[in-house]
Formats: sequence, C-alpha cells, structure tokens
Amino acid sequence: MSKDYVQQPGSSKDVRVDGKRVAGKMRFNPPGSGGSRPEMSPRDMDFIPELEGGNEAQPAGGHFQDKFRTGTTVGKRTALVDANAKVTGQAWYGDDVRLPNEIIGRIVRSPHHYAKVKSIDTSKAESLPGVIAVSTGVDAPNKFGVLPVTKDEHAMAVEKVRHVGDLVACVAAIDEETAREAAALIEVEYEVLDAVHDPKKGLLDVDEPIHWRGQYHIGSTNVQKRVFQEFGDRSNLENSTATHHGKWKFMGVNHGFTEPHAVVAHWDSNGRLQLYTPQQVPHYAHRALATVLDVPMHQINVIRTFVGGGFGGKSDPFPHEMCAAILARKAGRPVRITFDREEVFWVNRGRHPSHIEVKINADEEAKISGFDIDALIDGGGFASFGHVTSYYNGVLATAPYELGSFHYTGARVWTNKPASGAMRGHGAVNTRCAIEVGLDDLAEQLQVDPIDLRLANLLPPHSKTITGFRITSNGMRQALERVREGSNWDEKFRKLPLGKGIGIGCGFFISGSGLPIHWDPNNFPHATVHIQIDMDGGVTVHTGAAEIGQGSTTAVAQVVAEVLALPLDMIHVRSHESDTSPVDLGSYSSRVTFMNANAAISAALEIRETLLNSVSEMLEVPSELLILNDRRIYNKKDPTQGVSYLDALHKSQEDRGALISSGAYRTPPMGGVHKGAAAGLAPAYSFSAYVAEVEVDVETGLIKCTDVWAAHDCGKALNPLAVEGQIIGSCHMGLGQVLSEQMVYGRTGHLQNPNLLEYKIPSVHEMPNVTPIIIESCDPEGPFGAKEAGEGPLLPILPAVVNAVYDAIGIRINNLPLTPDKVWAAIAKKMKVQGLEDAQDLPVPRLDFSELQQKLADRAAEHNIRDARRQRFEDDGPYLNGVLFGLDPNLPPEEQDDTWTISVRPDESQIEGLGLAGTAWTKKEQRHMGGEK
Amino acid sequence: MLMPPFELHRPATVDEACSIASELIASGQEFDWIAGGTDLIPNYKWHINTKPHVISLAAIQGISDISMTEIGCMARLHDIAAGGQAHPLVAEAASKVASSLIRRNATLGGNLCLDTRCFWFNQAEEWRSSIDWCHKCDCGTGSDCRVIPNQNELCVATYQGDIAPTLMVLNATAHLIGPNGPRSMPLHEFYQLDGMTRNVLQPGEFMLKVTLSDDAGDWVGSYRKLRVRESWDFPEAGVAAAWKKGDRSTIRIATTALESIPRRHDEEVATSNGNVKAMADAIYASTKPVNNTALPPRYRRNMIKVLVKRACEE
Repeated sequence: MSKDYVQQPGSSKDVRVDGKRVAGKMRFNPPGSGGSRPEMSPRDMDFIPELEGGNEAQPAGGHFQDKFRTGTTVGKRTALVDANAKVTGQAWYGDDVRLPNEIIGRIVRSPHHYAKVKSIDTSKAESLPGVIAVSTGVDAPNKFGVLPVTKDEHAMAVEKVRHVGDLVACVAAIDEETAREAAALIEVEYEVLDAVHDPKKGLLDVDEPIHWRGQYHIGSTNVQKRVFQEFGDRSNLENSTATHHGKWKFMGVNHGFTEPHAVVAHWDSNGRLQLYTPQQVPHYAHRALATVLDVPMHQINVIRTFVGGGFGGKSDPFPHEMCAAILARKAGRPVRITFDREEVFWVNRGRHPSHIEVKINADEEAKISGFDIDALIDGGGFASFGHVTSYYNGVLATAPYELGSFHYTGARVWTNKPASGAMRGHGAVNTRCAIEVGLDDLAEQLQVDPIDLRLANLLPPHSKTITGFRITSNGMRQALERVREGSNWDEKFRKLPLGKGIGIGCGFFISGSGLPIHWDPNNFPHATVHIQIDMDGGVTVHTGAAEIGQGSTTAVAQVVAEVLALPLDMIHVRSHESDTSPVDLGSYSSRVTFMNANAAISAALEIRETLLNSVSEMLEVPSELLILNDRRIYNKKDPTQGVSYLDALHKSQEDRGALISSGAYRTPPMGGVHKGAAAGLAPAYSFSAYVAEVEVDVETGLIKCTDVWAAHDCGKALNPLAVEGQIIGSCHMGLGQVLSEQMVYGRTGHLQNPNLLEYKIPSVHEMPNVTPIIIESCDPEGPFGAKEAGEGPLLPILPAVVNAVYDAIGIRINNLPLTPDKVWAAIAKKMKVQGLEDAQDLPVPRLDFSELQQKLADRAAEHNIRDARRQRFEDDGPYLNGVLFGLDPNLPPEEQDDTWTISVRPDESQIEGLGLAGTAWTKKEQRHMGGEK
Repeated sequence: MLMPPFELHRPATVDEACSIASELIASGQEFDWIAGGTDLIPNYKWHINTKPHVISLAAIQGISDISMTEIGCMARLHDIAAGGQAHPLVAEAASKVASSLIRRNATLGGNLCLDTRCFWFNQAEEWRSSIDWCHKCDCGTGSDCRVIPNQNELCVATYQGDIAPTLMVLNATAHLIGPNGPRSMPLHEFYQLDGMTRNVLQPGEFMLKVTLSDDAGDWVGSYRKLRVRESWDFPEAGVAAAWKKGDRSTIRIATTALESIPRRHDEEVATSNGNVKAMADAIYASTKPVNNTALPPRYRRNMIKVLVKRACEE
C-alpha cells in the first residue's frame, strides 16, 4: 500500500506532507485504520459534559462515568444500527427463516373453554400421506413457566384444556395444506367442565379449580396469588378533608405487535437443537426448552431472530416453541410453525382485565394521608408473569407522591381465557390511571390546581418510598413544570368550552427489576457483555440482550463507541445466538439499557485501559493525560503527540492477539425485608408527566385526542431520537387502551375480536400531535446517567386523557376503553339527571381557587429548592417517605411512630372489611384447612 | 391463513363471463364472482363459504367507467373518491371506505354487493368451530343463529357498505347482467332480506353498473359515517341524505350498517312534513340494529338521530 493511500477519493487535499501530525488533519496509516473517513474529526465539545470541560449542560449534576465520555455518540440523535436491515426488508423475522428440508407444523387447539381430555386418536392424521410427525401432551410431561414459582404450563394439554385455543396436539407435514388437513383429522374426546369467565367468580370455591397447587392452594378457589400490604400511619384517615373513591373496570388489551409468533426448530447433525424464535427473553426460553425436552441447556442453541414487536408479548417461553422442537425431533427435519392472528390472541399474555378500586384521602394541608388500592386481576388460564403483576398493581403506585399510608389488597385469579401476562408498563398502568384520576378529583374537591397538588406532594430525589423502594434520580418536578409550560396549562385548564378539555397524568416505572427471576443476585450478574477486537480494529460486541425494536443493540453499540471513541460503524453487535452470547436476562421490565449498557461500558473500559497503557508506553505519557478521540489517542497537553487507534491496538495485541474483555452488571443490595419487598424494587425509576388535550363530540361520544405534551425523565438520553420514538410510540399504545382497544369476551365467553380489524388499534388519524419532552435527571447508577424510556412513558397518557375528558364534559368515566357508546351513555345519563334536552347545554367544570392553592404553591416552591439541592448532592442527607408528615429522616418510621404499620398479612379483625380482591383472604390455604399436605 | 384451492376464471368480456357462469351452473358447480377481492379474499382465508370456482371480472374492459350519471361495477373506489368525475356525494362515501390501500383495489360492484357481516361469522374456521358454527356458515350442521338464538330461519348479519345509501338517495338504478340477459331496477329495490339472501342477484348474475338520472348533478347532500377509527373501520351506522338544490321538499334519506340491508326511508320522510327531527325519530323507530358489530346496538340505534340531523345539514 502506498503512502498516498486514500480511503475516500476526493478527501486528499490540504493534507500536510511535512510529517507533522496535527489533530484534525492527521491521515491514518493504511490499511484498515478504521471507519470510512480518512481523517480524525475534532472533538465534539457539545457532547462532552461541562464538568469535564465541554459544553454539555449538566443541570442535574455530574456522573461518575462522565470522564469516559468522548463526545462520540452519546446524546446524539442516532438512527438505530439495525434500521437499514429493516427498511430494506433484509431483516429476518421469525417466519423468514427457511431451512433446507423443512416441514410445516400446525397446532390442534381446544374448541372448549374448559374440559378434561379423555382421549386423543391421532391414527387418521398419522396415516394421511404427507404427514411426518404427530405429537400430543404425553410426549412432554414436564411443566414450565416463565417464573420458577409458578410453572403451570405444558407444551400440550396433559390432562385438561383451560381455554378456547389451548394446545392439545400438533402435527408436522410436508406443507401447510396437509398439516391443516391432518390437524382436522385428530380426534379428541373431551369431558366439558364448568368454565369460569368472570374474575369475580374466580374468588369462589369451585369443584374443579383450573389449576391445583396442593397444600398451597387457596381454599378450592381459582385464586392464583393474593397480596396484602399495609404501611404507614392509618390512624387519621377518618378525619380527611377530602376523599376520592373510584371503582374502575379495565378491559384486557393485547400487545398488537405486527409480527405473529413464529418458530423454526432443527436438530442438527450433532443432535443439538437449533431453535429460531422471535423472543424477547431467549434465556428463559432456553431454560424452559431444556426442562421440557429433557436435554441439557448446552445442547440447545436459541437463535433470536429479528423481533417484529414484543411489548411483553414475546417474553414467556411458549408452548409452540416446545411443539416445534418436539415435532422436529420426531420428524428428523426442521419444523416451522407460524401463527395466524387468532393464535396470537389465544396465546395472549396481554394486560390483565382488572377491577380496581382506589380510595385517596387528603388532610387539611392537602397532604396525601392514604392510598387504598384493591385490584382484582383476571389472569386467564395460566400464571405467566402474574405473580409479579399481582404485586405491581399496588406497589408501583407508592411513588412519586409522599404518602401518609398505603394499603393494598390484590388478587389474581385463573379464568378460562387466554393467559394474561406482561405488557408494556407491566402491572402499573391500570392502577396508575385510577390514582391519577383520583388526584384530579381530589384537586377539584380541594379547589386547587391538580398540577400544584402534585408538585406539593412529590418525593424528592434520593429518597425512600413508603414500602422501601430506593429512589435515586427523580425528574418528576421538572416533567410537571415542563408540560405545564408547554401546554399553556394555566390558560386552558377549566377554562375551555364544552367539548374541549385538557388533563394531566403522571407516571412512575421501574428501570430494571432489582431481583432477577431465576438467579441469586449474589452470584450471577444480570447482564454480561463480551468485547472482542482483532487486528482489523473492528469491535465485536457479544451480548444476549434481545433487540426487539426498542434499540438495545444501538444503545450497546453507542456506549462502546463512546468509551473507545470509535465511529459507530466500527462496532458490530452480535446478539442473536445463545451459543455465542453471554447470558442476558432479556428484554423485560425496562432493564436492558440500564443493565446491559452498564455491562458494556464496563467491558469497554477494560479495553480502554489496555489501549491507554500501550499508548502510555509508546509515547511515554501517563495514561491520565491521554485523550481518546475518533480513532486516535493523543496527549491532552500536546495533541500533536499521539498514535492512531490501530497502532495502539496493534501494540496492545503484541504477544496476546485479539483483545477480549468481559463486563457485567449487578444491582446493588437494596430494599426492605418484608414479604414481597423485592417486587417493584429497581436500581432506578423513571418519572413522567403528560398533558393531553381532547375534543369530545357530545352528541356521539367520540373522543379525539388532539395534542399531547409528553415529558419523560429518562436520566440521560443516550439517543434522543430513540427516546422520542419510545415516547411517541407509548402514547400511541396507551391511547389505544384508553380509547378503543379491548379484548371483548362475549355472551358465551368467546373472544369476539381476535383480529386486527375488530381489535381497534388507533390508526394514524387517531394519533395526536405529540410533543416529546426529554427530562435528564442524570441517574447516578445508570449508564452515563440513563434510565428506562420504553415502558414508563405509556402510563400517563391514560389518566391524562380521562382527566381531559372530564375537563371537556364534566363526566368521569371509570371504565376503559372510553368507547363512544360508553361516553354517550354517560352523557345521556347526566342529561336525564339534570333534565337537559340538548347535550350542548351540559355544564362544564370551572375552578375557583381555595385558600389552599397558595399554600400548595408555596410548599411546592420550597420543595423545588429542596429537590434541586438533593438532585445535585448538595444535600446528601437521608430522606424517607413520611418526612412531610413530620418524621425524622434518620430513623426508620416504625421506630419513631407507634402507629406506623408494616404488615403483609391481614389480621383476623381486618379480613371482613377488605375490598373485592381482599376477599381472597377470607379463604385458607389447604395446609391450614387440614387438607392436602 | 391458507385459502382452500379454487379454480380462477378470467373472462375477457361480459358475454364470456355469463357463459362461464351458465356452464358452471349447468354442471352443478358453485362459484363466486370476484372484483377487487378485498371482501372475498379475507373471507376465503377464514374458510368462510368458499367455492371451488371463482370468476374474476378484472380482465373485462369497459366496465370501470365513471361519470356523473354512470359508474361501472369495476370502477375502483379510489378513482370514484379522487377522480373528480363521480357525483360528489358518492365520492364522499367512497372516500370513507376502509383505508387508502383497500380503496385502490376495492370496486363499486364489490362494495354494493358486500357480504353481510357479523362477529359470530367473520372469524377463522377454528374459531367458528368453537361456537359450533352459525346459521350463515353452518358447514352442513344446520346451526342456529348466534345473534338471536332459537330461531333457525333468519340471518341477521349486518350490511356494512358505505356507498349504497348515497346512491339510493340519488335514486340510482342498478343494472344487472346474467345468463338470462340484462335487467335493471332502482338500487333501493336491489337489496333483499335476509343477511344470507342479501340482494336479488340470481345465480350467474352480477351487477354491471349503476346509473343516475340526468339531473343528478342538481342534487346535493351528505353522508355521515359512525366509526371508532377514521381508517379501516366499517360503518357502525351510516346515513345519507340528498335533496335537489334549493328544494328541501325533495329530501331522501337512506341508512346503512344498521340492518341486513341498506334501506331508503321514504315512508318515514313522507310522514315527517320536512321536519328533520321528526324524520330522525321515525327512522329511529323503524330501525332495529342487533348485537353483531363492534359497538352495541342501543348506541348505534340512538346515533341514527344524530347522523340524520347531521346528514341533513345544509
């Protein structure tokens, strides 16, 4: 290669030939000096934090990883690294996998809601020409489930079918036509059992509960999980100044992702299973496959294809994945199964249909003296993530507000429906809606502005919630202030004409689950990332993190590029195969960016150190004085003194070859010790506040959401483009739940709308104009300060819209979705009560401030100063929920206040008075009934 | 989602289409017509009343013309909506059908002859097997109606086409063609109860075109569609009204998506002496939707009053 080697024609002008190396004019050594630009870019000071000498403002203070920022990609609007594959149609989704000699699998499903399987005759199917393999439940007796405590699923029915669409058998044939024909030939004899459809009936004793948990079974009910939590001072609720009581019904919703489930299973020439599946959580599928198939995990390679949307709906290990593997093993040929949309609805795992009751009390200073929540959630036929959901419906309501007390009863029941599970905003969405609407009502009763009511009751940064969650960074206050300003709230609230309204809602969500589902956190990390760099300079990053469209691959590439100061196109992320990827727990609970990017940073820092040591040796400059910038490492004091990244790399590789490093992340120990303390525990939490503006057609009840101002605290936007995408996408998804999406179970208990025409996801016409507002509170433990942005932004849109509808027509509707028929019926009822002839005469709410308003504004102003100081660690004293009520932040509340309760089991005297879900506590477990031991 | 196999016939002329139809009838074989296919193909994918033969009208020239007074059966809804030649009221209704993607395939003939819909019926085969089928697609089992059980006579599936009511209020004439030659009738007499019979088409017959009277351009009106989403959704209720410009006494009103057929409400209008509220109340009284679409029938019925009022706004 000649000295005049130019990587990019036309870029050779004004290059120095005198040998002196000048930053910005330096030509790299050929060959392969990396990247497509031949010259080093200047350092981008706009993306170097101000505390490190750059121009990037840090209103929330510094971060311990700031010194590793190189201004390369973090904070810049970056197109996702897999975007090209997707927009050019080259991304390979589940059904794009084609293996030689593959055959087609088809699942035989139950036509009954609930039945015993008496016998299955597969002989006719087996003798059909073209059929290669047939399998039934006897081939796979081992149970599985995403949570180790509630394994209640089989690959196919072993004894019973539990909902219409439950798996009974499967066939594999040379083509889909034959497979369908064979499936129809399988004869199943059922004994139909009495089905339970109404979750309220799930609380009752029945002859044949849907599952049987032996000595732990609660009576002979269908209660899968019950929760009781009581915290704080319950003594003064009787003397509340204002009380809100809301009884809610939430219909179940489905994720509605574009790509239906699809799987290809292939036992390779060495007898190992290669399983291709669009999974959010490949690792748990890996574990479940090993259990069901009775083969060690190392004999299975789970290959995650591109995932065409997950939102929680592809995070369980699925029976059809087992079926494909079983059929492929029998057939000795690869088997592919692709779902029809009906099958997607039958496997479901969507948000639980819920009955939620909230009571909120406020004292004379408008402090929130109590949240009482009762949540009965309809789990459908299987446990799935439900154990966790049962907790989340309560405990994720314990912030962002400071509470005098917290009381929660929750129950999840099995019914003969497709299983509910985890869906974007897992467990937090419905209760959050009820709470935020309740606060709106409370503000109305107290005659104060609902934003000021919130601002005067917020927990500060670096505090503890009433149940012991550790809040770190907290941008709630800024979020509220920014949407208030952006939406011109003060000019509009309670001032708009009939039919137009504006409403506020807040959100709070976990940024990663503090405890992993399967592992002892003392022994294993939550996320591990391997980095490998060979002589060509390209950086291969191995991670198990499942890219599901949320941008996790891009986030990992970005942080590695940032630390090593390399262009993004030099970073290659390999995340598809369990054979090559270190274990990552998967894309759920908004954990990936927080945990995996932290692991990636730690792996990249190891490489960085190696490179700096080499350069330090080459230049005889201490490594603290070296700057990494765009494929070059140079002396901070004399930028002309430096070496190219490639030279440094080659020096580092002397005697050892490729650089390889491993980085990991584990959550710090935290949280309380009570039963259930781990549920909802997270290393950081996101906060959000939305203002929505709506138009309501008072004659038809049709609601149009026109504008949303959406502020979300994601700690630090590693990629603002991706964060805005998540905010807008969350708005769309939440808007579906609040306005039109619902899984409708009809008179006979059948799901009436298992298709995307009748399951009404909002179209582009229903989409409001969303103004995303990113709040950066700089989380001390997040990667470069980042927290989640994928789920939390969904929460506030629901209450914001419901509150805006109230502002528009003066009616609160506690039954989602707000389909036009419900709104119209509510309007008609109000007109009848008030004796109105014309809907245009409906009164609209107006607000006359009480004296309290000024007090709240004053308290909010004080807290604003408190919070700013705490955010920047100018005040680093402890703060726990209860200080607002006069507690000493230095002592546990239960030690300073005799009336302060911590209870996770109702005592006998309480049981009678519990709410709907609380009635689950009237039953005893079998072991306490003298029953099964 | 695999369709059962069928033989596709592609006649090049109307005569050829009719002769293929007669031959199939003579040999006792069942068939469906296909125009744009946006209604038939989804039903076939769900294995609903599939036939071994399908005759496509797509290759026939000269049956997709659009003018103020005539629209051919193969005219695409997109062209009716956006082409600027059709009557504005018909164009308005066409523009509200489904989505822009579907309108580029869907045709006038297909929309007017749309199969009736019902959430017990428009489902996948496995789903329908779980309810033991229904009257409209009983798969030989003699199943009962699931909307109104214990009657084995009537199918109450809902007609959810958008364009028919607008053509009805413009007094359009439907022109049919078949093995026994052409015939024509006012469009409001084309539809025939019940949800399975749907219309007067005889075996082998199809709708060739609709025509409007020469003074159609003097008529104005509007079409109001009730739906949850402004794209994709079929009407949950639809009301069209038209009157001769400057003469409100000529007003005609037709509804769709409320019963098994679209209906022109001449009687209700005649007894109301030009009072729009009276018309709305009369139509409300005579129209009884059932529970088989996305929104409950009580609501849909009540919306008649609002939609009639709005459709009659000048």
